Amino acid sequence: MSKIKKKRLGFVLDMTPLVDITFLLLTFFMFTAKFKSESENQQKVEIKRPKTQADTAKLADKDLVMVKVGVDSVLKDTAWYVSMINEQDITSLRQAMLEAKFPGADDKTVSFKVTDTVWLGKIVQSCRVVNPKASFAIDADKRLRYEWIERAVNEMRKNRATTFNFVTEKRQGL
Amino acid sequence: MAGGGGDLGGGKTQRRGKKGKRKSKKRLGFRLDMTPLVDITFLLLTFFMLTTSMITPQTMEMNVPPEMDVPIEVKQSELLTLRLREDGVIFYNMGLDAPEKIALKALRKVVIDQNVQLKNRCIVVLKASADAPYGLVVSILDELNMAEPEILSGLKAAGINERKRKFTVAPMEAKDIEEIKGL
Repeated sequence: MSKIKKKRLGFVLDMTPLVDITFLLLTFFMFTAKFKSESENQQKVEIKRPKTQADTAKLADKDLVMVKVGVDSVLKDTAWYVSMINEQDITSLRQAMLEAKFPGADDKTVSFKVTDTVWLGKIVQSCRVVNPKASFAIDADKRLRYEWIERAVNEMRKNRATTFNFVTEKRQGL
Repeated sequence: MAGGGGDLGGGKTQRRGKKGKRKSKKRLGFRLDMTPLVDITFLLLTFFMLTTSMITPQTMEMNVPPEMDVPIEVKQSELLTLRLREDGVIFYNMGLDAPEKIALKALRKVVIDQNVQLKNRCIVVLKASADAPYGLVVSILDELNMAEPEILSGLKAAGINERKRKFTVAPMEAKDIEEIKGL
């Protein structure tokens, strides 16, 4: 008998390159994936962002005050949802808001739902105190009346936050 | 990593280090069944591929003047006023001219022309009605942003290399509403 005399019924396929590529893709997607933050989990509003075409910058991921304007899917009322991105800022803001007796705030709130301009002014002011470097971003639904944005902008102006961002979505294609 | 292929059938127990009578085969390396590993990897890959959203939100930077008690006077002739009525109709006028209706698509050309004609001194004011949809306001801002490169090249052709952008958002006053009513 010769050394190699084995019957092969199937055929052998080298899986190595396939596994290599799969791992590569897996690593890529794992690193690029971004999970929803806690504040996003709490909110129940859906925001359809306006689409823009011009060259716009990416949204900063720190030192940011997010002012979301949206319609509550259950209560059907429009409100501002103010939150901050930096973890320690949220903690400080929460403390400030608890001291000011913000209605509905507890020690777990990360996104403050505001429905009147007076509280919006106070919360904007607190944000400025907590982190003077933070920039403001307005993330509003495109179907909303402009009044909601104008009122938020006015409150920011009062607190000398004259530079802010509108969060938009890039229109695909031309 | 070699040896990944071939034994996809799996399940056979291998005898190691036993020099039996039946099989006198020499094994130098060892075989590792890669099937479960690859299975899990594919599962994770599919999961991450489906959960990742590639489009990140963009931002549009805006500047507004701080609150001041003293109004700053500007030349009416250099003022391009854009007004957005609550039904979404856009009006524009230079200085004290009568407001004219304009389509969103045509806006860019007007802004470019005025800016180039006035050689950088044009001030654009946007007054949006409180009841106008926010999406349209952003579309107008987008048009103004898209006009910038063409304004730059227009100014360059006129021999000006510097561009000072003057743009502001102002509240809609009762006077403004009256002016564009019924147009």
